[in-house]
Amino acid sequence: MRKIKKDTLLGYLPILPFLAVVVCYELLPLAQLVMSSLIGKTSGTFGFENFIKVFTTPLYQASILNSVKISIFSALIGLVVAFLAARACHECGQVWRSRFTMLLNMTSNFSGVPLAFAFMVLMGNTGVLTLLGQRAGIGFLGDFDLYSGQGLMLVYIYFQIPLATLLLLPAFRGLQPQWREAAAILHATPADYWFRIAIPNLLPSILGTLSVLFANALAAYATAYALVMNNYALLALQITSKYKGDVQIDKATGGALAVVLILLMILATLVSSYFTRRAAKGRSLV
Amino acid sequence: MPQGFTLRNYIELFSDPEFWGSIGRTLVLCAVSVLVTIVLLLLAMYVVLVVNRRLGAIMQFVCMIPYALQGVILSISIISLYSGTSTLLSNRMLMLFGAYTVLVLPYIYQGIRNSMNAINAGMLIQAAEMLGCGKFTAYWKVVLPNVFSGILVSALLAQSIVFGDFVLANNIAGNNYQNIQVFLNRRMFTSSGLASAIVVVIFLVVFVITGLVMKLEKRDAKEK
Repeated sequence: MRKIKKDTLLGYLPILPFLAVVVCYELLPLAQLVMSSLIGKTSGTFGFENFIKVFTTPLYQASILNSVKISIFSALIGLVVAFLAARACHECGQVWRSRFTMLLNMTSNFSGVPLAFAFMVLMGNTGVLTLLGQRAGIGFLGDFDLYSGQGLMLVYIYFQIPLATLLLLPAFRGLQPQWREAAAILHATPADYWFRIAIPNLLPSILGTLSVLFANALAAYATAYALVMNNYALLALQITSKYKGDVQIDKATGGALAVVLILLMILATLVSSYFTRRAAKGRSLV
Repeated sequence: MPQGFTLRNYIELFSDPEFWGSIGRTLVLCAVSVLVTIVLLLLAMYVVLVVNRRLGAIMQFVCMIPYALQGVILSISIISLYSGTSTLLSNRMLMLFGAYTVLVLPYIYQGIRNSMNAINAGMLIQAAEMLGCGKFTAYWKVVLPNVFSGILVSALLAQSIVFGDFVLANNIAGNNYQNIQVFLNRRMFTSSGLASAIVVVIFLVVFVITGLVMKLEKRDAKEK
């Protein structure tokens, strides 16, 4: 009996290095983050003092609002463009589809600092398109301010599109060609087919993609930092500025902001999984 | 506005020791973190397969957390815990490698798990045992060679994640251990020609990695 127990304990040995790394660099840091958010910055006692401060300071209020706004809009606009792109990709031939997938893979890696730089060269203060716009008198291009909310929105939409298309493509493969034929036989117009058959069928994937896009924009940091440094009220930027830079680390406020970000991401996942389950009712999905 | 065609920016870039330094550091980060993660996960998966299957669910949960959190939270939580503690763990390099190891965890875990499921690894080990083979030998000699190409694909994917990372490197190491993205961010404001050359180099590397992944996946699909 004893020997068997010793053997099983020995069997668990190989998982220990994995556990050690995960505990040291994932679980403990997270636990500490939540703890420090709950210990008041001035009072030093346990409670919601930091959260009250975060929700009543105009800068942090604006950061949360801006982050949510930019995430929702970039996710929605990106999704619409990606839907059209995925539809086009689904309906063209094998050769073009694999070329398109390669392009999507490449562009979905095009993010962060290189992406911000590319937009600066194109649409920054002395960017090619800005100068062209000023010369040709196109107001939208000539006066475009990349280093602001609208600039960030444009760049965020750009990086959402390839990711969203890649995520939607597999769902399109589930659309049976027979459905379209059957719909046509029953005198359904193409609009009927798309709005009453195809889109409802794709809805679980669409909602799932939406939540991934939302979280993706919410947590994006490199692009925004490269464009506006810390000079814009955005959750990811504000959190990082609490831990970096010349001033002392502010674990209390930073922790509270980080917990708000985590909660927003969890909320997005919960909302999407609720609607996905509703949309998938009566169907077996993996 | 551009004046004419020139390769001057590339010549300047390739003769800049700081550029080669940042490329070298990025490659070291890629190789070490991906290798460490693969070894850790292969050891852990052995326990899940052979000793206790129920650990699988916990492992999946733990491995998917970094995917949900992404760089910002990961980096600041590690800084928050270790910086200023003046222990071995407050060493910025150790923090950086630890953070990267956790960052690539979800991608490599998915790759390993999917390929082990595809070959039905548990059954293979049982079959090998019936033929008189030890559990560990079965895992080492039967399962691992069969999941090798799956691991390779996920390792390449993870490489491109590390190669494209700015958040962890900038937050944890900053200027002490500049990777290629931090280098780009610093050069971006001084010379746009030079910065464009860096972006092209980054893009070429990612292009080669993506091409390799797609080729390997195609080869795998053909074999099946």
